[in-house]
Amino acid sequence: MAKISRRDFIKMGAAGLLATVLTGCQNPRRWVTLEPYVIPPEEQLAGVATWYASTCRQCPAGCGIIVRVMNGRALKIEGNPKHPLNKGKLCARGQAGLQVLYNPDRLPGPVQQTERGSGRFQPISWEEGLNTLYDRLRQAGSGTAIWTGSTTSGHLLDLFERFAAATGAPSPLVFDLYSELNGLAALENADRAFFGQNRLPTYNLEQADVILSFGADFLGPWLSQVRYGMAFGAFRSQSLGKRGYLVQLEPRMSITGAKADWWLPISPGTEALVAQALARIIADGPLGPAEWATKANTLASEIDVSSVAAASGIPVTELEQLAHIFAAATRPLAIPGNALAAQDGQGTAIAAVQALNAIAGADGLALSPDSPATSLLKPQVSPFGDVQALIERMQAGDVQVLLIHGANPVYDLPESARVVDALAHVPFVVSFGPIADETGVQADLVLPDRTYLESWGYDVTSPGFDLPAVGSQQPVVTPVFDAHSTADVLLTVTRGIPTAAAALPWSDEVAFLKEIIPQLGPGAAGGLDTDVLWSRFLQHGGWWPATAPPPAPHTPVLSQSVQAEAPQFQGDEQEYPYFLHLYMSDLLSDGRGADQPWLQGSPDPMTTVAWQTWVEIHPQTAQKLGVKDGDVVHITSPAGEIEAPVYIYPAIRPNTIAVPVGQGHTDYGRYARKRGSNPMDLVGTTSEGLAWATTRVKITPTGKKIAQAGFENKAGVDEGFINEAFPG
Amino acid sequence: MSVREIESQSTQDTVPEDAIATDSLRRRRLLLDPRPATRMSADVLDPMDRATARFWVAFVILGGLVAIWGVTWLYQMIWGIGVTGLNRPVMWALYIVNFVYFIGIGHAGTFISAALRALKIEWRRPISRAAEMLTVFALTTAAMFPLVHLGRTWKFYWLMPYPNQRQLWPSYHSPLLWDLTAILTYLSCSVLFAYLSLFPDLAMARDRTRGWRHVLYKTLALGWRGTEREWATHKAALNVFTYAIIPVMFSVHTIVSWDFAMAIQPGWHSTVFGPYFVIGALFSGVGAVIMVLALLRKTMRFGYFLRDEHFEGMALFLLLLSMAWAYFYFNDYLVPWYGQGPAEKAIQELLSHGWAAPLWFLMLFSNILLPWATLWSRRIRRSAGALFFISIFVQIGMYIERYLIVPTTLGRNELPFDWGIYVPHLPESLITLGAFALVGFLYVLISRIIPLIPVWEVLEGQMLHGLRRIGKAVVQTRAEPEE
Amino acid sequence: MTLAEHKWTMVVDLDKCTGCGACVVACHAENNVPIVSEEQTIQGRAMHWMRIERYWEGSYPEIKARFIPLMCQQCERAPCEPVCPVYATLHSEREHLNLQVYNRCVGTRYCQNNDPYKVRFFNFFDPIFDEPLTQQLNPDVTVRSAGVMEKCTFCVQRIRRAEERARLEERPLADGEVLPACVQTCPPGALVFGDLNDEASAVSQLLSGNARQFKLLEHLGTEPSVVYLKGGTSYVST
Repeated sequence: MAKISRRDFIKMGAAGLLATVLTGCQNPRRWVTLEPYVIPPEEQLAGVATWYASTCRQCPAGCGIIVRVMNGRALKIEGNPKHPLNKGKLCARGQAGLQVLYNPDRLPGPVQQTERGSGRFQPISWEEGLNTLYDRLRQAGSGTAIWTGSTTSGHLLDLFERFAAATGAPSPLVFDLYSELNGLAALENADRAFFGQNRLPTYNLEQADVILSFGADFLGPWLSQVRYGMAFGAFRSQSLGKRGYLVQLEPRMSITGAKADWWLPISPGTEALVAQALARIIADGPLGPAEWATKANTLASEIDVSSVAAASGIPVTELEQLAHIFAAATRPLAIPGNALAAQDGQGTAIAAVQALNAIAGADGLALSPDSPATSLLKPQVSPFGDVQALIERMQAGDVQVLLIHGANPVYDLPESARVVDALAHVPFVVSFGPIADETGVQADLVLPDRTYLESWGYDVTSPGFDLPAVGSQQPVVTPVFDAHSTADVLLTVTRGIPTAAAALPWSDEVAFLKEIIPQLGPGAAGGLDTDVLWSRFLQHGGWWPATAPPPAPHTPVLSQSVQAEAPQFQGDEQEYPYFLHLYMSDLLSDGRGADQPWLQGSPDPMTTVAWQTWVEIHPQTAQKLGVKDGDVVHITSPAGEIEAPVYIYPAIRPNTIAVPVGQGHTDYGRYARKRGSNPMDLVGTTSEGLAWATTRVKITPTGKKIAQAGFENKAGVDEGFINEAFPG
Repeated sequence: MSVREIESQSTQDTVPEDAIATDSLRRRRLLLDPRPATRMSADVLDPMDRATARFWVAFVILGGLVAIWGVTWLYQMIWGIGVTGLNRPVMWALYIVNFVYFIGIGHAGTFISAALRALKIEWRRPISRAAEMLTVFALTTAAMFPLVHLGRTWKFYWLMPYPNQRQLWPSYHSPLLWDLTAILTYLSCSVLFAYLSLFPDLAMARDRTRGWRHVLYKTLALGWRGTEREWATHKAALNVFTYAIIPVMFSVHTIVSWDFAMAIQPGWHSTVFGPYFVIGALFSGVGAVIMVLALLRKTMRFGYFLRDEHFEGMALFLLLLSMAWAYFYFNDYLVPWYGQGPAEKAIQELLSHGWAAPLWFLMLFSNILLPWATLWSRRIRRSAGALFFISIFVQIGMYIERYLIVPTTLGRNELPFDWGIYVPHLPESLITLGAFALVGFLYVLISRIIPLIPVWEVLEGQMLHGLRRIGKAVVQTRAEPEE
Repeated sequence: MTLAEHKWTMVVDLDKCTGCGACVVACHAENNVPIVSEEQTIQGRAMHWMRIERYWEGSYPEIKARFIPLMCQQCERAPCEPVCPVYATLHSEREHLNLQVYNRCVGTRYCQNNDPYKVRFFNFFDPIFDEPLTQQLNPDVTVRSAGVMEKCTFCVQRIRRAEERARLEERPLADGEVLPACVQTCPPGALVFGDLNDEASAVSQLLSGNARQFKLLEHLGTEPSVVYLKGGTSYVST
């Protein structure tokens, strides 16, 4: 149980850990030299801003950003005009990143907690924190578990992987609510079935003339909001005055549904049935070009169209109309959405929709470009089965140390997953979150990581579009609080663990990054000095080839008809008469945005409500229940119960209710705490995964009422004289 | 023998019927019922010395409410306008309503002292001072409200045109500056007018009091001796003011109405607002004066001076003004109703069917139905108590009218997404209460300092009016003073 | 050297706006616009210089939602200007912008009453920026205090910086050199900004002969500098 000697500690600590980081394009220095500001840093002029390129980490898309820094303060984030993914554009969450950096509730330094769940943290020194971690890891041996999220930097994940491999621990888990609600794991899996490769699909909207979106809210926080927003703009500006035709099939109107030319309110869980019905109608027609009809014959299942009409709530005439529209199009595209991913783990539902693409030749469909370097790890989201396996291991007491980075499982997972229970069986829990979130509050030790604007790293753009890109990350300001990069922490503590030390020989993360970056891809290094390559990588915000590689062949491997069934819903229809539709808030996403006041205080695009949770109910349903806007109702599912105020929403199926995810935090800072409800509490856990798209609920009025913090005047909007003001 | 008996003896051959007729005339008409000047002066001055318990209770309560205003205002200045119920889009609410309301009330004083004087309506004589005092206090109170309303009250002086180093001047494009000019003019003119007509009474008070009162009145009276020359100058000055202040009176509330009419807000942008507001001001003002007089008659025992005839006269005006107000309101409502513009329609639906409907109907009841149903009756018109009751409703109705114009209408505009509702919060409610209390408080104070009945005017009137026997008839006579 | 005259114009393509709200947050970040609490939002005091109005049309199931980004229209004949008694809001003839002078505003709030687009926001309280969020505040833009009215300025601080830079470099401003925060971040490209006086600019090109263009509340005669392009619906043959 030898502690690291003080001399050794200082030796290794000084090498990488205790350095505060200065920014720089030419020569990033890791060492502090104290100089008076009369001699300013080389690239700093008072009153003149410098722009530093980095990568946004508010969601896994990985848009390139540039940050305006003046006098050592980060003032504004913009999209990096050079980055091929977002080309200078950025979404609301990306803009709010400065409030992650300067959040008042960030931990000022490492803390420990003697009573889990109390929130009573005792500040400790980094030396103490590191020593504690080192002790525990050494003792744990292979009994370590690592839980990361979809925005954890590739290089850190790489280091975690190496550490796990070296100590015999299982591979790190990559799982958070964002990836779950986006269906990332299932989409990648489904693509393996469809293309033979495990990547996230991308859809070239700007090349399509007709898009059938099966619950894919691509204009919202799904996959790549900025890029799809840009693509949508291009879709609507197609040449020859063609405006494109978008059909959205979903039970509740999302932002994408709002922009659709035809919004079809289909019953939850029937997306795959409708897709199969369309294929059937095309085959039976036969509709469209000859080769389409042939493929349709192969791929269409023997499904009864009128029964699909009954199940989905779409009349047969409209299904036929849809099929005609699809078949008459030149470059149609069908997009399977995240709800499909949640409905069954096998991906048959997704395949049913992809069948339509296979029929039409899948021109608008693309694969994410190949990762430019196989040695550059990119987070691959773990399927829920892996999550359950980890929870079971924890329950069984097989995990001695749990390290959590970039994920908040205590908040993300419903009570039915029993995470807190499992944590109780883990002797030592370490969180690396910069703010004490729900998981941090259940930890014994919190070693706060630096926020992404103060961090090094890289991000393999996924999903990638046309150009394969790797975004760079660099600190844009001196770290605001006494946080240290988790990669550096790992490299420091593993120095004392012989097996790990051999696998992780780098002094600090920058040394590690400099070593692997030259492997970016063919032509990347191109005879360049490592330092120059490194500088360019940072200066431009990443690396991408000058021209797009030829598109990866993507012949669909779908060769037979897909038989997707309607999914099983949790809860008996009689007792739980309503379908629950969960969706990620456009601003708060999966809840990680709740600590940023710009996101909390900005109006939700569809309801204009800020700061609160709400449940969207069709006007007739509300009348039947006898509730009005602001009335608080109990929503009960077989797995749990929450309370939420009503928002009467005209664009939702009468037998469906919708609740946004994102509020209901019990910790995570002053802006997030004790606000609204977390609808994940309603979600049950099945063998297939989290039943967030397959839950039924019942509603009971409570008699309580709250004032709704809506930006709109609902009475005015209902008055409906919009056409007088807006001829558009 | 009583004075009346002596004087009645002086007429020729009074037969019992004549005596009865004369008597009843004298009882009804103040100007036909002279008393010696000393007696009248005493009647007016004595109540000023009596500091009864009732006075002190009123003083403390009203003074307390005024103090609460002060404290609340300070609180608002420290914390910000956010302590009120204002929001976007309703950025003007109770403070502006109070502003308009109190200026409105102030019109009655000028109406009675100046307009009725110009029209030679003689029954205005005993009530003119009480009405002028109401004007001055109402205007003073009203003038506070733009200050209370400002987001940065401490910068109020930027609204004044004064030479400064940055060469910044206020903008005369803005109706608010016209307001400032008009109200300051009106206030200063009203004060001067009131002061001017006070001279003879101040002198009278000076000659009949001792101690601090004597010193006060001596200072204020500026050496008035009541010479022929002084009276002539006095009269000329009063004439100038009378004819000059009448257009000021009309212009002030017209300009206040332009705060709204010049804006493009639906419901405000109406050309009829000018005369509509002036009539409304007179209407509420006359009602307020009736209430003040009724209170004065009771508390100061001015039963001799304030008779049923005065109330009847005021009530007739109240009825006429109510009809005029109804005419203008009907115009203001009908025109946008006919046009059916979406925003105007939305506002009118709010009034007739929305949450504002109870207020709207109460307003129509108080301003039209109640006066029309009652004031045709001579008996009601001659009853101060009934009129007091009716006037309360008139005040309520006119206050609601301003409330419906300002915060209610602002809640609806051309973009329904941005509609809003205003709910008064405690600070502005306390300040409003304090404003009403301030008027009362100042009145209570002034009742102890200034004689509230212009004795000289009553004397003048009584000199000019008389009863004469011509043959068997008893005839009222009236003389014109020499120009 | 006199500064050139620019008719700054913003074009909003309602067909492309997805309502994502990036412009709303970008504006807060650039212009130090405070976020108000939940209670204040309930009271109707939320401050979003750029906002997205969402209207509904029709009824279920043929229901449509419309997003309309709304910011100060920078009217040529602004109704908010004449009513300010202290000249806190005035017109810049050179840039065709409506200027708001924060340190002159005394808070009569008349301008908001006369603003038909309701794009003006009043500071009912002193804005609260919990430390260290104050580090993020843009030094180019005044932080306002209680009692002061504020509104979108087309990021006039960016316009000024660009003009100064161009002046120093002795060249004219290039099209696209000046982008307000909202325009810069908009992913679908629904917002376009530029000088209408320049025939070659993107806005001029976009608007010339464009049958979709209209202005908000045109009947009021305010002559806004913001031009909207009508959204639409596609129809396909079946």
